[in-house]
Amino acid sequence: MTDYAAVPRTTEATDAAAVTRVVSQRVSKPAAWWGMIILIASEATLFGAFVGTYYYLRFNTVAWPPDGLPKPDLVAPLILLGVLVLSSLPMQIASRAARAGRLARTRLAIVAALVLQCGYFVYEIHDFRDQLHRFDITRDAYSSIYYTLLGADHGHVLLGILFNFWLLWKLARGFTTYRVNAVQAVTWYWHAVNILTVVVIGTLLSARA
Amino acid sequence: MAIATPPSPAAAETMERLERMWQSRPGVLGWLTTTDHKRIGLLYFWTTLVLFGAGGIEALLIRTQLIAPNQNLVSPSTYDELFTLHGMTMIFFFIIPMTTGAFGNYLLPLMIGARDMAFPRMNALSYWIFLASAIFLYTSLFMGMAPNAGWFDYVPLANRQFNPGSNIDFYCLGIIFNSIASTLTAGQFIVTMFKSRAPGMSFNRMPLFCWAQLAAAFGLLFALPALSADTIFLFLDRNVGTHFFDPSRGGETLLWQHLFWIFGHPEVYILIVPAFGIATSIIPAFTQRRLVAFPLVAIAEILVVFIGFGVWAHHMFATGLPTITLVFFAAATALVVIPSTIQVFAWCMSFVLGLARFKTPLLFIAGFIFMFVTGGLTGIMFVAIPFDQQVTDTYFVVAHFHYIIFGAAVFPIFGGMYYWFPKVTGKLYFELPGQISFWVLFAGTNLLFFPMHIVGLLGMPRRVYTYPSGIGWTAYNLAESIGGYLTLVGILLLLGNLVVSYFRGEPAGPDPWHGPTLEWTISSPPPEYNFAVVPKVTSPYPNWDAADREEDRRHLDEGVLVLQHGHEQPAVTPVDARFAEIVEMPHESPWPVILAFTLSLVFVMLVIHKYGVAGIMGILCLLALVGWHSKEPQES
Repeated sequence: MTDYAAVPRTTEATDAAAVTRVVSQRVSKPAAWWGMIILIASEATLFGAFVGTYYYLRFNTVAWPPDGLPKPDLVAPLILLGVLVLSSLPMQIASRAARAGRLARTRLAIVAALVLQCGYFVYEIHDFRDQLHRFDITRDAYSSIYYTLLGADHGHVLLGILFNFWLLWKLARGFTTYRVNAVQAVTWYWHAVNILTVVVIGTLLSARA
Repeated sequence: MAIATPPSPAAAETMERLERMWQSRPGVLGWLTTTDHKRIGLLYFWTTLVLFGAGGIEALLIRTQLIAPNQNLVSPSTYDELFTLHGMTMIFFFIIPMTTGAFGNYLLPLMIGARDMAFPRMNALSYWIFLASAIFLYTSLFMGMAPNAGWFDYVPLANRQFNPGSNIDFYCLGIIFNSIASTLTAGQFIVTMFKSRAPGMSFNRMPLFCWAQLAAAFGLLFALPALSADTIFLFLDRNVGTHFFDPSRGGETLLWQHLFWIFGHPEVYILIVPAFGIATSIIPAFTQRRLVAFPLVAIAEILVVFIGFGVWAHHMFATGLPTITLVFFAAATALVVIPSTIQVFAWCMSFVLGLARFKTPLLFIAGFIFMFVTGGLTGIMFVAIPFDQQVTDTYFVVAHFHYIIFGAAVFPIFGGMYYWFPKVTGKLYFELPGQISFWVLFAGTNLLFFPMHIVGLLGMPRRVYTYPSGIGWTAYNLAESIGGYLTLVGILLLLGNLVVSYFRGEPAGPDPWHGPTLEWTISSPPPEYNFAVVPKVTSPYPNWDAADREEDRRHLDEGVLVLQHGHEQPAVTPVDARFAEIVEMPHESPWPVILAFTLSLVFVMLVIHKYGVAGIMGILCLLALVGWHSKEPQES
C-alpha cells in the first residue's frame, strides 16, 4: 500500500480526457456497476417468479390457452422482439464510446437506441390495448398471468427509455466519471431488459406449442 | 487509531480537520438529511425497538386471552388481527430491520474499515421507506382494518370473497412497501462488502459477522421477489378481478403457498443468520481466541441460506402434494442440519478451547446455542413426514419456531445490545443486573415456549381464540402466560439497565472487551468519519494485530493514507481487496426522505383504490429521483 499516492481519485475527473484516463486505469468495476447488477438480479428474480407462475398455472390446466381464446400471434411479436434486442448494439456502442471519452458518438448511439426502443414501445402499447379489447385481464387465470407478465415487461422497457432520456440530458453538459458510470450501468440495464423480454415473449408464445 | 494513546499534535490536527469535514448538520434537519450509517443504524434501532414493543404487546394480549379457558378479553376478530400483526411485526418490522438495518448498518462499515456504506443515500432511503411502511401497516390497526388472515395469509381465506374489508389490501401493500426497504438494504450491503472493505481485507479476512450479513443480504435479495409477486397477484385478484388463486377460472390456491414459502423459508434463515454473525463476534471477544474453523463457519453461513431456498415445500406437507415431492423436500430439509451443526460445534469448541468469561453477552450466546439446538431438534422431527402431518397447525409448531426465532434470533440481538453498548454510547453497562436480566429472560422464554410442545402434542391447534376447560390444556397455558409476563420483566430489566447505564455508566474507553474486529480500534462512540487513516488489515482479527495498529498510528502522525480531500473513501477490488480507487461519498441529502414520502403517497392512494392519483404520485417519485441525481459527487 506504499504506492497509495498513485491510486486515482476517480470522482474528481470532470472532462473527457480525465475520465478516459481514470476509466482506462480501472482495475475493477465501480460500485455503480455493482449496484446495477444487484437491481438486475432482483428484477430477474421477480420475473422468475412470474414465469414460474405462468408454467405452474399452465401445467395445472387442461386447455392452454383456455377454450375460446386464440393462440398468441407469432410473427409480429417476434419482429418487434428483434427490433428491441437490436437496441443492445447501440447501447453497447454508447458504453464503449463513453469510456473512450467520445461524447458525440455516445449521444448519437443513445439516440439510435432510443429510436428502436421507442418504436418497439409505441407499437407494443398499441398492440396491448388492442388485445385488451379482445380478451379482458379478468377473463381467467391465463389472461391474468398473460397481461401481468407483459405489463411488467413493458414497465421495464418504459423505465429504460426514461433512463436514456435522462442520460442524454446529463450528457448535454459533457462527461464526468459519474455520467460515464451511468452510461455503463444503463447499458447493462438494457441488456438485462432485452434478455428478460426474450424470456417473457418466449414464455407467452409457448402457449402455441 | 490513536485514540487509545494521546495523539501527536499533527495527528490531533488531522482528526480535527476530519471532524469538521464530516460533521452533520445540527438538530432535526441533520437527522432527516443524514447519510451517516451510524445515525441511520440508530434510527433503525429506535424504530424497531418501538415496533418490538408493539409486537410484544400483541403477544401479551394473546397470552392473556389464553391464560385460562373460555376467556373473552378480546373479540375473536380482534384476536385474528393480533396474531397476524404479531407475526408480521416481529418478522418484517423487528428482526429483519433490527439485525440488518440497525446492527448491520451501524457495524458493517466499522468492521470492514470503511467510512460509510457504498450507497449512503440509498441507505437513508431504505430507512425512511421502512419507517413509512411501518406507519402504513399500523394505521390499519387504528382504522380497525388490520390484516387478519395470519402472517402467511393463505388464500382463499384472504380472498375478497371471504375477507371483504381493506385488511388484506393493507397486508399486500404493507409487505410490498416493506420489501422495497429490505431490498435496498440488502443490495447496498452486498455492494458495500464487495467494494468498500479496507484495502488488504480480502474475503478470507472479512469478519464472520460480515459473512453472515452477506448471506442474509443475498437471501433477502433473492427471496423477497417471490413474496412481492405473490402479494401483487393477491392484490390484483382482490381489486382488479384477476384469477390467479381462483380454481374456478383456471387459477390455483396452492400457488399462493408455493410462492409464499419460496420466500418464507429462506426468510427463516435470513432472520437467524445475522444473529449467528452476532454470536461469532461475541464468542472470540469473550474467549480471547480465534473462532474455531473460521472458513467452515463462513461457508456454513452461506450454505444455510443457499439450502434454505430448496426446502420450501416442507411447510406444505399437509396440503396433499405427491409423495415423491414430500420425500424430496424432507431430504433437502435434512441437509440443513449439516451447516447448522458445523456452526454449533465451532461455537462450542471455541468455548472449550478458549478462556470463556461468562459476561452478559456471552451468557446470551450460550442461551442462544441452547435454544437453537432445542428448536433444531424439533425441526429435525418435522422431517419425518407422518409426524409433521400429525402436528401441522398445532402448538408444537409454534413452540418449534419460537425456540428458533426468539431463542436463535432475539437472544443474540440482546447479547449484541450488551456487547456493542459500550461502543455506541461510550459507557459500560452494569454487569450484575445484566446477568440477572439474562437469567430472567432464559427462565421466562423457556417457561413460555416449552409447554407449547406438550399442548401441541395434546392437540391444541394454533390461532384458536379460546379453548374449553377439562381437556388438560389449562395448566400448560397458564404456565405459558406466566412465562410471557416473566419474559416481559426480563426485557424491561435489560432495557432499564441500558438506560440507566447510558446516564450513570462508567466510561468504556475504546476497547473494553479486547475485541477482535476493527470497530474496537476507534473511540467510543465512533467519530463521524469512523477511521482517521485507512486501517491496515492482515487477518480477520485486526484489533489483535498490534503491529498493524502501530503502523496506523504512524500513518496518522505522518498524514499518510488519511484521505482528507473531502468525504473520501477507498474502493477495492471485490475479492482480493486491492486498493483500486478513491471515491468521493455523498453527504447529507434531502432526497431520500422526499422520495420515501412520495412513495408512501403511492401506497396510500393504492389502498384507497385511487389508482389514477397513485400513478401521478409515481411520476412524482420519478421526479424526486431526477432531483436526487441532480448533484454529482464532484460537485459536493
